[in-house]
Amino acid sequence: MKRLMPAPSARRTIVLAAAIALAAVGCSSSSSTSTPAATSTTSATPATSATPGTAAVSTSQCGTKPGVAATGTPIALGGIVTNQPGTSFTDIANMANAYFACVNANGGINGHPIKYYIETEQTNPAQIAADAKQLVQTDHVLGIIGNTSIIECSVDSSYWQKLGYYIIDSGIAPECYSTSNSAAVNMGPRYSSDGAVQYALAQHASKIVFDQSNVPGTGYIAAGPAALAKAANVPIVQLTENVPISDADSVAIKEVDDAGPNGAVVLNFTPPEALVILQAAQKLGLEDRVKLWGCSTPCNTDFLATSLGPKWNSKLFVNAELTPPDVTNTAAMNLYKAILKQYGSAVSGGIGSFSQMGFTEAEIAVHALETITASSYTVANVNAAFKAVSAFNTGMLCQLWTYGAYPTHIPNNMDYTVTPDNGKMVTAQGCTQISSVDPQIAQYRSVAGTAQIAP
Amino acid sequence: MPSWQDFQPFIVSGLALGGVYALSGVGLVVLYRATGVLNLAFGALGAMGALITWSLIKAGVPGWLSWLACVVFAAAVTLGYGIVFGPALARRDPLVKAVATIGLTLILYGLADLLWTTSGGQARSITFPTDNSGFMVGQVQVNWTQVIALAAGVVITVATGAFLRYTKLGTAMRAMANDRDITATLGVPVRKVEAAAWLGCGVLAGLAGLLLADLVALDATTLTFLVISSLAAVLIARLRSITVTFIAAIVIGLLHDLLTPVNSLTNYRDMTPFVIAAVALLVLSRHQVMSQSREEA
Repeated sequence: MKRLMPAPSARRTIVLAAAIALAAVGCSSSSSTSTPAATSTTSATPATSATPGTAAVSTSQCGTKPGVAATGTPIALGGIVTNQPGTSFTDIANMANAYFACVNANGGINGHPIKYYIETEQTNPAQIAADAKQLVQTDHVLGIIGNTSIIECSVDSSYWQKLGYYIIDSGIAPECYSTSNSAAVNMGPRYSSDGAVQYALAQHASKIVFDQSNVPGTGYIAAGPAALAKAANVPIVQLTENVPISDADSVAIKEVDDAGPNGAVVLNFTPPEALVILQAAQKLGLEDRVKLWGCSTPCNTDFLATSLGPKWNSKLFVNAELTPPDVTNTAAMNLYKAILKQYGSAVSGGIGSFSQMGFTEAEIAVHALETITASSYTVANVNAAFKAVSAFNTGMLCQLWTYGAYPTHIPNNMDYTVTPDNGKMVTAQGCTQISSVDPQIAQYRSVAGTAQIAP
Repeated sequence: MPSWQDFQPFIVSGLALGGVYALSGVGLVVLYRATGVLNLAFGALGAMGALITWSLIKAGVPGWLSWLACVVFAAAVTLGYGIVFGPALARRDPLVKAVATIGLTLILYGLADLLWTTSGGQARSITFPTDNSGFMVGQVQVNWTQVIALAAGVVITVATGAFLRYTKLGTAMRAMANDRDITATLGVPVRKVEAAAWLGCGVLAGLAGLLLADLVALDATTLTFLVISSLAAVLIARLRSITVTFIAAIVIGLLHDLLTPVNSLTNYRDMTPFVIAAVALLVLSRHQVMSQSREEA
């Protein structure tokens, strides 16, 4: 009987392996999370109409003095982005940086170049707080733009408020939308999920299955879709999945079983996780077992459409908070593509929602800085200019974008729905308002009103 | 509580996943028995191999050649590690040997993240022609990749068992598991035997990585840490029996997936490998203590 007992060294190995396994699970399960996303409702004029003659756009248009490099005192701006295995938002800051490089090469801001400091973080509150202090105390940034982080808004919101910074960001955490000093260009996961659920309800889905990553904030996100389904008197099943997903087949089967043949499955995951679930559904022949599939903004990528193939054409409907780049031929879209090509070597994802967000945030910041008439740039006048941005046509959003002195900020609350079409995402529904049935949207509109649709 | 019919599709997915866990577990046990090394880099090797396969397919290399590249990469790196570090670690405590493979894990994991960045929310996938064809068992759709995964687990387990029992090399590996020094004095070329074990482990790491990239996800983090489920099966087998490893892996895969439709437990299903491993180790330990007490009495 003693033979069955492993040697002492083997026993120690077993204990070590068990400990490592547990530690590794802890690390891996926290690595992949939700993504900046968006939402929408109620049809309006699509802003994707082609404008003839705008295809050839020069990057010299991004500054006031084409071809003249800015040589004045730099204007320091900063941003904090998540960059960790499984979740990286560096493309957003890198695209903003590309825009600033373009501006600097073409006159800058009244001759002043923009110096942009990018800090990265790994979902560590202490690190994020230190990043903010680094930007303020060491880099002496005058404004914060391009922040895109899973928890940065929650960690730093009061710090920025105390110092008088008005942040222009891509939001994820609730505080990115529910505070007076943060205004996002995107809608974030809650309102994007609202938009996806809203589309499914408009298609008369008899039941909604809403599935998302099991990460902090899921309750806040789920509240929006729950309110919409309740108002439509449609049952909703809320699911969460540990990420990274290791059993996509099971997840897909459960979603489809719960939704039923006339129901809809709506996903709120990062692109890799969403792709895993959708591919599992396809392999098991489940894509036609429900009325439709929906997804929040992160699914709006061409590589997802390419990976899925034609079986998902007009079967998967993705909420898209920014103007679809594939089918848009406007001046802003062409400038975005030109800057990306000339200055965006660090933007690894290329054309897509993330780089569009970075472009839009930088565009708004430059517009605001150009309104400053004082001889020097300070924290006070830069942030006053950010806050004063009103009815600005970004060329990337359905609506004109306004910061404003509001207690909450959801300036992007109208967007598109797209669907795969042989490897591309094409528009399935034009600009549509996110329903005020979501109490947060209702609260925002009660103070800020409904923004004008972009021309 | 879901009905029996609700559980049926999860049996299929659980068996497929269990099959790949078994394949991985067998690779880990064979290497451990021959060299005393618990290869914690098993998942990372498969992950990087699968990412290489993805890049090759994207570059237009034929599918079969790309799949082969995954196995060749994992086998070559594992063999290389074994040849370079194996002799130096041979006389070290198994704890040291296991920890040393974490170094390889971190290097591969870091490289994968650097070379196949997820910045911009990029998603990758590997699909096999067998994904979109299959058959129905009752109301349940079964695709051929799932069948291959389970079959691979069974075939590798049986073949490895036969190899260890009936071949000269297998006998040498079993002898080394008992005592490396005595085996060496009997004229067994221990370095060659160890190299063969490393190579076999690497081949299985590549195969598992390829199958899991299709069945689960092509993501460095996911694939690197999926080895944990296999590790649980190996622990239940106490790093010795490939038959027990196979059974434990199948049970883990099945139970994990069968918990999915149970709403009250679905969010805890990822704990399955650890719960099963902990219970099994406790029961086995208790049984052994009782047996020892009886012998002493």
